[in-house]
Amino acid sequence: MAEALRIENLNFSIYENVRTPAAKGGVISKVFGNTFRSSSLTHRQILKDINMSLHPGETVCIGGPSGQGKSLLLRLIAGLEKPDSGSLFYFGEYIPREKHSALQIALRQVGLVLQNGALISNLTVRDNVALPLRYHRRGTEKEIAEKVGMALDLMRVSSVASNFPHTLSAGMLKRVAIARSWVMDPKLLLMDEPTAGLDNYNRRNLLPLIDNMRSLFQTTIVIVTHDLRMADELDSNLIFLHDKTLTEPHSFDYWMQSKEVFAVQLFRDLQKRDGLY
Amino acid sequence: MENEKSTLSPIGKIFDWLGKAFLKTTPGKLFALFVKTILSFFSANRNFRTDFRNVVLQTFFTGVEIFPILFVVASLFGTVVIVETMSIMSKVGFANVVGNVLVVTVVRELGPIFTAFLIAGRSGSALATMIGNMQINSEIDALSSMGISPIRYLVMPSLLGGVIAVFIMSICFCVSSLGMGYLISKIFVMVAGQTMNVQLTWNYLYTSLVDALTFTDFVMIVLKPLVFGIIIVINACYQGLRVERDFRNLPKATSRSVIFSFLYIVIADAMLSVFFIFQYLGEISKII
Repeated sequence: MAEALRIENLNFSIYENVRTPAAKGGVISKVFGNTFRSSSLTHRQILKDINMSLHPGETVCIGGPSGQGKSLLLRLIAGLEKPDSGSLFYFGEYIPREKHSALQIALRQVGLVLQNGALISNLTVRDNVALPLRYHRRGTEKEIAEKVGMALDLMRVSSVASNFPHTLSAGMLKRVAIARSWVMDPKLLLMDEPTAGLDNYNRRNLLPLIDNMRSLFQTTIVIVTHDLRMADELDSNLIFLHDKTLTEPHSFDYWMQSKEVFAVQLFRDLQKRDGLY
Repeated sequence: MENEKSTLSPIGKIFDWLGKAFLKTTPGKLFALFVKTILSFFSANRNFRTDFRNVVLQTFFTGVEIFPILFVVASLFGTVVIVETMSIMSKVGFANVVGNVLVVTVVRELGPIFTAFLIAGRSGSALATMIGNMQINSEIDALSSMGISPIRYLVMPSLLGGVIAVFIMSICFCVSSLGMGYLISKIFVMVAGQTMNVQLTWNYLYTSLVDALTFTDFVMIVLKPLVFGIIIVINACYQGLRVERDFRNLPKATSRSVIFSFLYIVIADAMLSVFFIFQYLGEISKII
């Protein structure tokens, strides 16, 4: 069976517009200060030689310090950014760089849950969840209503179905966003920090839901997270984004025992806590 | 790609280069967005029921909410134009061209432009801010990652609704500026008595207006709001979509959506006036 996702030698860099003060302090710069400044583009590589493959139904957590480009990697997989070079295969199908766009990749049943939920602010929660179903015309209005009701019940947000997103808390927004991705029956679900901003109670409720999705619907899930313990609780492999590239996937326990410097740094608190309790 | 290039003739290469250079400029990008919006109307995901709802909402948002202000502006503007024209024209002995002057200023030129300015200032800026905020809040990304084209979902209904609203509002502007302008002028005349020296009757105004209206005016009443509506909405959406998750760009986008709409509207208006120049030339040749 084809792999759900395969990334080969992916590179990504950005061109930053770094503004430098004008070199010579002529009359203009004396009068106008730094208003007229020359800007130059500097090239900065963010991701280098990323290789990854996922089997259908597999869950993997991507960890690492913040600012390393974990969310960026997820955006690349979802098609919101174009890679510089490298190949991406979705369920065995190669998507060339010209076709690498979010709309094309969404057609391959890839769902993305963004960090802030990104619900459409002028639609109610119910309409937000129904939006992709209505747009892609997945069934009649009655079927859509049923499916939306089911998703809202599953994420336990049906009490706020008629509310607008700005009235919801961060945790609720996130659960609605997961419900919105879930209604489209994604085969590959990308989640950016699903547990950030959630209290312990909601976090503990969310993890079985992710687990259910994996076991019932065979959804392949990629989770970018700071919450490393989640990998242990979901019994999934953990990959680190370290030094612009991805490490090999290993279990939570492996990394816990690992002598790698970054792993020791990241797991120090967890080990201490384990010692305490 | 290489083969494709080698098949182009030298003239073809020039056009290829010109086209690509045009698409890199802001008007080129606006044009590309407009073409994409029109094409998105025929995309496979069309759903006329939701589209109709969105278009009606957008029309209400753009047009109906601005109506009270537009009504007051139009009435007072009409009053000023009628009173000034009637008093000055009769002084210089051109009392018979009052209708022409009213048609040129209100119906032909300033009516559509005023309406477009009011709508650009109110709805264009609101649209740019809304789309810019959606961009900052990653909602546009979320739409794309659900397979929903932002152009299809956001720009297309705004465009249709905007054009319909500008069209209806232009007609409202012309009607209320001439109708209410007449009524308010009449009140002025009644209050001022003989001091204003204006002989204003509805019959006189109506006949001179109807005489002055030509077929080109009716074409322009449809064409100008259409062009201005497209300019306002496409420019606002373009500026909003350009924000790119950077808060600093949002105020710039809002002001650009208004200022550049004004600029493009005036340019388009000047270009459309060329039609009238042709008409005048025709008339002059008839006289000769």
